[in-house]
Amino acid sequence: MVRDAIEDIEINLLLEALQRRYHYDFRHYAQASIKRRLRQAREQLSFSSFSAMQEAVLRDSALVPRLLNYLTVQVSEMFRDPSYYRAIRENVAPHLRTYPSLKVWIAGCSSGEELHSFAILFREEGLLERTLFYATDINPGALEAAASGVYALDRIKAFTENHQKSGGKSSLSDYYTAAYGRAVFDKALRSQVVFSDHSLATDAVFAEVQFISCRNVLIYFDRPLQDRALGLFRDSLARKGFLGLGSKESLRFSTHAEAFAEFVREEKIYQRREP
Amino acid sequence: MTLQTTHKAPTVRSRSGLVTALGVVAAVVFFLISGAVSFVDVQTLQADNDRIVHSHDVMAAINALLSSIQDAETGQRGYLLTGNEKYLEPYDTALSRLAPELSAIDVLTKDNPDQQASVGQLKPHIEAKLAELKQTIDLRRTQGAAAALAMVNTDQGKLEMDAIRAQLAAMDEEEAGLRSARLAEMRAAQSTAIASGLLATALGIGLTLAVGVLVNRTARAREREAWLQAGHVGLSAAMLGDKSIQQLGDAILDFLTQYLDAQAGVLFKGNGERFERIAQLGVAADAAIPAGFVLRESLLGRVAADGRPTVVNEVPDGYMTVGSGLGRDKPRHLVIAPFVVDGVVNAVVELGFLHPVGDQIVAFLHQAAGPAGVALRSARYRTDLQALLEETQRQAEELQVQSEELRVSNEELEEQGRALKEQQARLETQQVELEHTNTQLEEQAQQLEAQRDDLARTGAAVELKARELEQAGRYKSDFLANMSHELRTPLNSLLILSKLLGDNPHNNLSEEQVKYARTIQASGNDLLNLINDILDLSKIEAGHIQVRPETVSLQRLVSDLRQTFDPVAAQRRLEFIVDVAGECPPAIVTDRQRLDQILKNLLSNAFKFTETGRVELRVSCVGDRLALAVADTGIGISSEQHQNIFEAFRQADSAIDRKYGGTGLGLSISRELARLLGGSIALQSEIGKGSVFTLTIPLAYDPGAVQAWRGAPPSASPSTPPTAPTPRAAPKLSIVDDDRDHLVDARRVLLVVEDDQIFAGIVRDLAREVGFQCLVAGTAEDALDLARRYRPSALVLDVGLPDQSGLAVLDRLKRDDATRHIPIHVVSASDHAQTALSLGAVGYLVKPVRREDLAEALQGLEAKLTRTMRRVLIVEDDDVQRDAVRKLLGSSDVETVGAGTAAECLRLLKEQPFDCMVLDLSLPDASGFFVLETLSAEGEYAFPPVIVYTGHDLSPDDEQKLRRYSSSIIIKGAKSPERLLDEVSLFLHQVVSELPAEQQKMIHEARNRDAVLEGRRVLIVEDDVRNVYSLTNILEPRGVIVQIARNGQEALDALEQQASGDAKAIELVLMDVMMPVMDGLEATRRIRLDPRWTRLPIIALTAKAMPDDHERCLSAGANDYMAKPLDVEKLLSLVRVWMPR
Repeated sequence: MVRDAIEDIEINLLLEALQRRYHYDFRHYAQASIKRRLRQAREQLSFSSFSAMQEAVLRDSALVPRLLNYLTVQVSEMFRDPSYYRAIRENVAPHLRTYPSLKVWIAGCSSGEELHSFAILFREEGLLERTLFYATDINPGALEAAASGVYALDRIKAFTENHQKSGGKSSLSDYYTAAYGRAVFDKALRSQVVFSDHSLATDAVFAEVQFISCRNVLIYFDRPLQDRALGLFRDSLARKGFLGLGSKESLRFSTHAEAFAEFVREEKIYQRREP
Repeated sequence: MTLQTTHKAPTVRSRSGLVTALGVVAAVVFFLISGAVSFVDVQTLQADNDRIVHSHDVMAAINALLSSIQDAETGQRGYLLTGNEKYLEPYDTALSRLAPELSAIDVLTKDNPDQQASVGQLKPHIEAKLAELKQTIDLRRTQGAAAALAMVNTDQGKLEMDAIRAQLAAMDEEEAGLRSARLAEMRAAQSTAIASGLLATALGIGLTLAVGVLVNRTARAREREAWLQAGHVGLSAAMLGDKSIQQLGDAILDFLTQYLDAQAGVLFKGNGERFERIAQLGVAADAAIPAGFVLRESLLGRVAADGRPTVVNEVPDGYMTVGSGLGRDKPRHLVIAPFVVDGVVNAVVELGFLHPVGDQIVAFLHQAAGPAGVALRSARYRTDLQALLEETQRQAEELQVQSEELRVSNEELEEQGRALKEQQARLETQQVELEHTNTQLEEQAQQLEAQRDDLARTGAAVELKARELEQAGRYKSDFLANMSHELRTPLNSLLILSKLLGDNPHNNLSEEQVKYARTIQASGNDLLNLINDILDLSKIEAGHIQVRPETVSLQRLVSDLRQTFDPVAAQRRLEFIVDVAGECPPAIVTDRQRLDQILKNLLSNAFKFTETGRVELRVSCVGDRLALAVADTGIGISSEQHQNIFEAFRQADSAIDRKYGGTGLGLSISRELARLLGGSIALQSEIGKGSVFTLTIPLAYDPGAVQAWRGAPPSASPSTPPTAPTPRAAPKLSIVDDDRDHLVDARRVLLVVEDDQIFAGIVRDLAREVGFQCLVAGTAEDALDLARRYRPSALVLDVGLPDQSGLAVLDRLKRDDATRHIPIHVVSASDHAQTALSLGAVGYLVKPVRREDLAEALQGLEAKLTRTMRRVLIVEDDDVQRDAVRKLLGSSDVETVGAGTAAECLRLLKEQPFDCMVLDLSLPDASGFFVLETLSAEGEYAFPPVIVYTGHDLSPDDEQKLRRYSSSIIIKGAKSPERLLDEVSLFLHQVVSELPAEQQKMIHEARNRDAVLEGRRVLIVEDDVRNVYSLTNILEPRGVIVQIARNGQEALDALEQQASGDAKAIELVLMDVMMPVMDGLEATRRIRLDPRWTRLPIIALTAKAMPDDHERCLSAGANDYMAKPLDVEKLLSLVRVWMPR
């Protein structure tokens, strides 16, 4: 019991230190998950305690990217939950087509699988030309990976299946070149993408967008932070703009629930109500 | 046989060399010594000779001195005698010679102290003699011969002379003694020299002989050495190369036999214990040679054990034989030699010779033992190595296979590892998701709990209320039961008197008065029936009805009913069928009176609402219950209404068709009675397909099974009596005069839906006063029909309609796209305000309605109509599309005007005001851009808000251009109508909520002109349209000339362009950070690189909130920094700060 209590204090202090020294604010991440993640990091980086880790982190900024990799989850695949993308294709795209130019914000883009999925979907739907993507994440390493568009070849099979299930109108292989066990996705997909370090925990709205996809990010946040993020989304979305969340996420308990209407209920796609 | 074991070959070479060297050294030493001896002898001789010569010289000098003195004396004497000076000549000469001669003697006798002493003694004598001589001479000269002779006669001279002579003689003798001694020495030295010469010669001869012998021996040793050496080299050469043991053995044997001139040989190799034959040479084919031996076995074994070569001479018979083509012989001599490595014998060679074995052979074999042993060992090693190598290679191959397998399994493992890792990550995500869901569930649970608590509280409150209500219900029922009796009495007289009046017995009443009286009587009858019903219901509810069970014959029951209803059936031309199923018992036990009442009510309802067809009464038995079903072929009841029709007073103002209104209390009473009897009434019905009311009662009444009565919801307002036909029958046509036949302006039409003619008339008149044309509908159907046909601009709706509830009408109108926009004001006798408003009514009035309230409501409608009437201009060249858009947007409060060309559009805008304009960009005479530019440039046009509605994709530039005039741009497509409607309605709504434009403008002008900013040029670098607009809207009203760039590159281009052009210089840059193509930080850095713009103020705008972002902006070269969302005041003050006048 005592040890747990001490660990809690240490974790809080460590997160406080991270925030004050490097402005990475994990203080409002879901407790259980961040604890697990930190424990893993502590073991892997071989620190005897979180206090020791804190001391090291405060003085050694080189440790931060490594720690970030533990604290942010980098698991995703292209066209994950194909039905979500199918719903976007069938229900959202016709609306998006009425805009002369589009902005899409992939919040928490991780290593870019979702971004590439969107880019491919938008190309198939004839929207890519007029769309500017904002891909944001707090982890610079992940952003770099996203901007490179390189994925292990053995993952492509699953991607391809998902793509087909999502109602893909072309072959996924049209968009990548495979060599040396990797697949590089067409640079053209990323020509209209702004990769940026942006934190939903600390940063503000930067643009008016027609679509925000923020999948499986809110689950890592606690309620106040979820509300903050959803507030950003609300302020960022154009009137009648769309918000896509992860399959396990919902707006039901958010203070901003009123600002959104369910658009495709089962896929957690919401539409901004008129203000 | 003799055995000879050789211990060790002499190391001839080193020893003979040493001896030779020693010989030479001895010779050299000998010659050196004999030379030295000769030299010493010669030296001694020389020295002796010198000393003799010296002695001789000394004696000569002594003699010379003596002679000189004698000469001097002679001269003196001569002079003395003669006085002739001439005789003095010898004296003078002697005198001059005397001193050197004396010093010569002195010098010569330096080495001899005796002689020196003698010289010392001599010198005074000489001086004395000389002095006497001189004195005598001087005397002669001076005093003459006599004096002189006298002087001489003193004999002093003679004495002196004798002393000198004696001294000199002694000296001479001394010297002579010395000379003879030295001569003797010299002779001894000579004999020594001769002796040593002879000795040296003898020794020299001996030495030379010795060296000769030594050299000879060395040469022989070297020869042997060379032989051995050559043997070694040969052997080495023979052993050279990567040979197998076999080959090596053959090679060694070949070489040895050949080199040592052996006739036969065998070679065994071993491991220290066992030896085996590996090579043989020159042995006869049939000779029995052992294939191997062990240590210490036979001679070979002994040699192997000893490790020393052994020679066998005079080999006995039976030894191996040497074979050739011509015969065979046995070798005379044998050598068995071991080959040794590191002190261990690893091979043994046996060689057979026909000639005796020389030492050198043994020596050679001894010496060869090492190298050959090494070579053999090496060969064995090599063989071993070869075997090992092969083994290793095999193992390596095996390893390779294994490593390949390992690699494969490793890859598999890696694959699995990666899968596991992914799995883990996925699990992590799932866990988080689960946790998240859990949290949500918890929240949900909490919410539910709260709701449950609320519910429990509400439940408790409701229960309390229910008890209170029940109490009140009972009071009410009691009251009603009593009251009904009290009412009947006066009513009775009223009925009688009105009947009397109606009969007009005295004929003194006008026809009209009679009609009135009859109406009073009819109404009185209605009232009486109503009171009876209420009384019945109240009695039941108050529990005042006693069930009196009795045996009832079914036959009797149905026949009585038939008797009662046959005439009704005949009158209404309906078939009446009564059917009692065979399985039914002949009699049941129940309250006959109540059963009759229920069945009569059901049957009368059935007859009443059936126009054609039949009415059936079917009696059947289900278990211990009797089912009496009354079926008709009437209009039926919709399923939603099934429950309601049993509820007392519900039909009065709910959506039950008024046609069934008559069943209101009747059915309620029937249901309560059925319940009293322990049964129930069920209804099966569908609209248009008739109804079946089924009364189910137990075959025998059981008071215990009857449920305690639960209070029905009380209601204050009585309804139409169940038995009497409704006085307000549904009128098919207008119940009052209206304006449907002479409508002049479709825009201002009010539809009044009211079944009460009087009230309808009142509303109509009021509406006309307000300026509406009026339509009146008495029923819901009528109302719906009129609403669809005439599209009225507003509705006044009564809830209590004969056929349907007004609320149903409201709902249907609001669900219909064509009519949902119509504002509806609801009037009702009861309070359904909440429902009505939630259904979309604009207002609600409760009857009785005061005239003023009604007037107000109508004026409200009027005002709403005039206020919300909006004009939208639709500019679209395609007629079909234009009409489609007009239909889409047109509604009662939106008036649409179409224009097909730009010219027409401009003309319309000049002539008429519009609230909003929908503009297609492609027009036959000019482009939409032209229209927009004209509108903005020329003041004579009204410039309403524009929604661009186009079929073409727009380039970013076009879009940017359009954004200046329009915030809504819609690309035509599947979903565009929806969005267009949204945008337009939003716009119109916004317009309403805004201040009048003029007023807004005034405020703007008054507040926003900022002298500092007037006419300054600011470059906004921002990709987000919304931000661009908010910035523009902040800055432009203050007189700032705003230039826009959508990314860093465009910003650089813009700066470059203005620098090269004549345009006013850009004085400030507002730089967004997050932009496509080139971000703000990079752009700022590049701007700063150009010397022209080092001082250009740049304010960075960023969504990032952290202090180090601030720093990043500043270090990139920005002058200041501002975080989004932008604070207008702060932005303006920043702009003023960085752009001072």
